[in-house]
Amino acid sequence: MATEAALELDGVVAGYGQMTILNGTTFKVPASSITTVIGPNGAGKSTVFKTIFGLLKARTGTIRFQGRDITNLSPRALIEAGICYVPQGRNIFPQLSVRHNIELGAVAAGRGLTDMPARIEAALDRFPVLRKKADRQASTLSGGEQKQLEIVRGLLLDPKLVLIDEPSIGLSPLMVQETFAILTELRNKGVAILMIEQNAKSALAMSDFGIVLELGQTRIMDTAEAVLNDPRVAALFLGGSIEPKASGDNAPQVN
Amino acid sequence: MSTLINLIISGLATGSIYALVAIGFTLLWQTSQTINFAQGEFVMLPAFFMLAAMNAGFPFWAAILIGMALSMLILGVAFKRMLVDPMLKHGVLPLAIATMALSLAMKESVKQFYSAEAQPFPSLIPSIDLHVLGAVVSTQSLGVLAVGIGAVVALQFLLTRTSVGHQMQATAQNPTTARILGIPVERMIMYSFLINAGLVAIASVLVTPLYLAKFTSGETLGLAAFIAAIVGGFNQVRGAIVGGLLLGVVDNLAATYISTQYRAAVPLMLLIAVILFRPQGLLGSAEERTV
Repeated sequence: MATEAALELDGVVAGYGQMTILNGTTFKVPASSITTVIGPNGAGKSTVFKTIFGLLKARTGTIRFQGRDITNLSPRALIEAGICYVPQGRNIFPQLSVRHNIELGAVAAGRGLTDMPARIEAALDRFPVLRKKADRQASTLSGGEQKQLEIVRGLLLDPKLVLIDEPSIGLSPLMVQETFAILTELRNKGVAILMIEQNAKSALAMSDFGIVLELGQTRIMDTAEAVLNDPRVAALFLGGSIEPKASGDNAPQVN
Repeated sequence: MSTLINLIISGLATGSIYALVAIGFTLLWQTSQTINFAQGEFVMLPAFFMLAAMNAGFPFWAAILIGMALSMLILGVAFKRMLVDPMLKHGVLPLAIATMALSLAMKESVKQFYSAEAQPFPSLIPSIDLHVLGAVVSTQSLGVLAVGIGAVVALQFLLTRTSVGHQMQATAQNPTTARILGIPVERMIMYSFLINAGLVAIASVLVTPLYLAKFTSGETLGLAAFIAAIVGGFNQVRGAIVGGLLLGVVDNLAATYISTQYRAAVPLMLLIAVILFRPQGLLGSAEERTV
């Protein structure tokens, strides 16, 4: 990968209690690109995100963002550094209005942010559905609208890296297309996007790079196209596994 | 008719005190799953802080401020750090039982170290009877109602109109997401304990002149606040307000029109009816919580 890395993981080990999920996870996320992480259930995809975002402690290994060591920083410090995390599922405050939900995306900036009203207006302009329902309770939004709300909220502070976990889950095909379009637009503006998707094919089709995780280790890291056409990937999703030896050595294959 | 007006106004006055205590109760539940069975004793104790300050020679107004401060420190910060934080790790139920133990400990301590006798307590508002539309209304009732409503309005303003209030609501509704957005969740939870301590101290100043300061005086109040919170909807501050006011009026009317002996049963009947027919409370919403 010729492009400069926005995010680098090196030998990250993390897990829950006695259980280790990430076994020395190592990969790079290039700047201004969409990188999709795929892998079977239990491969550690969501765990990687939680560890990057400081919700889970990395026992060893380092995580670097734009060259700076960010291992085990707090979510708030990571937001300030320019990282945003949109987890799986519904992550809204159901009894607050849509507008107040969005405003909370700027909490980490504190009082330093003077153009907040303008930013919120711009966000609402970009998503007319949310503007229409700005003063309603967020619980009245549809699943897709809630996801849009989460993305808008995450983008309020102009992050340089977006971690987004299963954005398409539970959304209509049209909504998925729209969500992917937003991500592409962000990439074109220079934002690095790291995405987890079950829907591997359509996600890789719109991505620049692909990472295959298995048992908490990077098995393949290549261009999205190469990952999409790799016969081992098909085998992995049909219940097989990728032996580290298959790629020639024990280290994850990096082109 | 004039009696009815009188009963409703004094009922609303008592109800506004119930509402203050019930709001604190729901705030603690929402932000940290604390069912505080010592909430009644939390209202009883600040009055004794204030009495002790007055005995030490402070004027009434200074004693109120001292009582407030001690209340925030002991019923707010110390309660959270020393009882809620260590017990919540073991679950909601062990914590609830610990608060029952705390309630006993508080009652017995006051009896042991202060007095078992009921102590008179000065009133913030002088009691003068006003004649309005043929009804006799005491200024004390009106004053209690005004202070109670003032406190509720101020709290609602904080929760719904300020950024801190939104962050507190966010913490209550979805703590995981709140953390992901960089909201200082721990600090927001502490705020809700401090607000609860402030509310019970205000309730203490309002209610103690009527019922006197006694180690048992929290029992009925705690139960009333608990019922008010459930009747209104356990997960809604608005619900606690409506529940409190309703309970105050129902209580007062029952005492006059039904019988003083069955007075205590009427709120419980209201509670049973709500649990049977509208378990989420009058204003509450059904709650999904995975425990």
